[in-house]
Amino acid sequence: MIRGVWSRDTIGWVIAVALLPAFAVLLLEQGVPAAQRMVLALAVVLAWQALFRFSAGVPMSPTAAVTAVAVALLAPGEMATWQLVLAVTFGSVLGEAVFGGWGRNFLSPAVVALAFMFISFPEVSHPPAGPWIAAACAPAALLLLATGILSWRVLAAAVGSLVLTALALDADVASLTRLGGVAFGLVFLVGDPVAAPTTAAARVLYGALTGALTAYLGVRFGALGAPQAIVFAALLASIFAPLLDHAGVAAAVQRRRRRHG
Amino acid sequence: MKLTIKAGLQVSLPGPPVQRVVPSNPIRTVGLLGTDLPGVRAELLVAEGERVAAGDALFRDRKRPRICFTAPVAGTVSAIDLGEMRRLSSVAIAVDGGDRRHFDIPARLDRGAAQALLLESGLWPSFTARPFGRIPDPGSAPDAVFVAALDTLPLAACAQVVLAEGRADFALGVTALKPLTDGPVFVCQAPGSAVVAQDDKVLCVEVAGPHPAGLVGTHVSRLFPLHGQRSVWQIHYQDVMAIGALLRSGEIAGERVIALAGEGVRQPRLVRLPSGADLEDLVRGEVTEAPMRVVSGSPLGGRPSRFLGRHHWQVSVIPRAAASPRASRLGRFAAPRKPPPVIATAALERALAADIPVMPLLRALSVGDTETAARLGCCELLEEDMALIGYATGAAQDFAALLRSTLDALEPSR
Repeated sequence: MIRGVWSRDTIGWVIAVALLPAFAVLLLEQGVPAAQRMVLALAVVLAWQALFRFSAGVPMSPTAAVTAVAVALLAPGEMATWQLVLAVTFGSVLGEAVFGGWGRNFLSPAVVALAFMFISFPEVSHPPAGPWIAAACAPAALLLLATGILSWRVLAAAVGSLVLTALALDADVASLTRLGGVAFGLVFLVGDPVAAPTTAAARVLYGALTGALTAYLGVRFGALGAPQAIVFAALLASIFAPLLDHAGVAAAVQRRRRRHG
Repeated sequence: MKLTIKAGLQVSLPGPPVQRVVPSNPIRTVGLLGTDLPGVRAELLVAEGERVAAGDALFRDRKRPRICFTAPVAGTVSAIDLGEMRRLSSVAIAVDGGDRRHFDIPARLDRGAAQALLLESGLWPSFTARPFGRIPDPGSAPDAVFVAALDTLPLAACAQVVLAEGRADFALGVTALKPLTDGPVFVCQAPGSAVVAQDDKVLCVEVAGPHPAGLVGTHVSRLFPLHGQRSVWQIHYQDVMAIGALLRSGEIAGERVIALAGEGVRQPRLVRLPSGADLEDLVRGEVTEAPMRVVSGSPLGGRPSRFLGRHHWQVSVIPRAAASPRASRLGRFAAPRKPPPVIATAALERALAADIPVMPLLRALSVGDTETAARLGCCELLEEDMALIGYATGAAQDFAALLRSTLDALEPSR
């Protein structure tokens, strides 16, 4: 009869609002070039969303903004316009629209777009984002945790495992607090409620897997904050998310059976 | 015994009822509804215009003729509506007079005598069996009986207030439940409200926490999980009070205390009504000017209806849903062709207090994967347990209906 507020669209808008601090910091730090990249990426995503909406009835989503900010923030290198358009198209169409829009996809379109970019155009170098971005992600994380959109299990497991793995690999742990890209990735890409698994145990495993992969790949790519590290970690972990969920469900069923005979 | 529900959602709505029974408009018509008879094909025993006393049988189940449905009040059968495929839609009675049929109360209440009395008096359909939510078969016995002596639904009547007036009847009613099962009778109550004495068969459980702490699905899942061939019956505390009143007086009480509440009610309060009261009679002059709708049942899982439902203990008057602002031609052309997907949020996880992972269950229900739904434990649930999920997902899909079709598919295999 009556409806609660947590419909798909409301959740999408809350995520878009949570992006605002990072968006503002990005504009202040990098100015016009960042704005250009964001506007271009947003225009491409919205164009594809509109096309799929009218041709196939796939609902649009305010999470288009996540892709736009993520692309501008995690891939700030000098890229040609066609490269950006191609990568965002790939992410938006193959990561989201073909599955039926945000909520039915299983990978974050931003992650797919960025992974495509890093693989296809490896010659472009991307400097890591700074500490102000990390600071801007704190209120976003608080908002998303308070509204129950971001799972605290995912975030806690990811941060814990990131620190532990970095320690084990002798990386510079003190620099972790300044990793803007990693913070943004954990909150908006890894913590995307659609890409993350849904059972409690699977969420912990998923978070731990992402954290460990981020630290390991970070060391491999030469710096803990390398944007490639968090993007590929998020990609791999979310590919494993359905499997982890399957295991989580099997464990729940098993627990039921043990408890009830 | 104590049971604390950590999950749950606090759903605060405007217009909570004052917890005091205040007289209402006179009810001139009562009706029994076909929608309250899951799986029952009714065989009519009265004709339009016939006079009936309170307790006279109106119709019975064609397949299980011992299950009959009796008039809650005396009056004249004013209308019999048949719906699709000549299934009973409603039987309406114009209320007049006070004739009451007298039932003989057996001196010793063993299982056979208790069942016979409940069947004859029409109180048998107070029970709902889990799994599957049907009226239980006469002659069968459940592994446990659950009495919900608390109500955590938004805008509901406080069980303690209602029970305070009929404590003796309730205790008497519970004694009639004991012979029905070989197992325990769970009486789930709010913390600090000893509604009945505990003994070797009656187990009092204090349930604390927000809704859905008061739903039997929650209690069953936590206290007596259904596995194998187990089954339980559930009954509302006011139905237990009605059984007690029958044992005491030999007559059908036919009345219940319900909450008349919600944003649109001028004076939200408790009212005493005959079962199946005409809601148009009830709300005449009670509703504010704004566009409102009158719902039999809770704001979460109720339904618009002319008569108060058999298992409804509140009438909610809530704002009409605003028409969709995107009803333009462009909007219709681009309208999504599927219901919106469900996003996993903490609110959604808290909406189901049973020991079942929510998102996998909802996925299994929405794709019609009955096997997975059964493995996850959907047999412990009924439509009422899904109402809060509907609320928490912004009514993305009608999960109560999906659960019903899943249960219907599972029923023959058990």
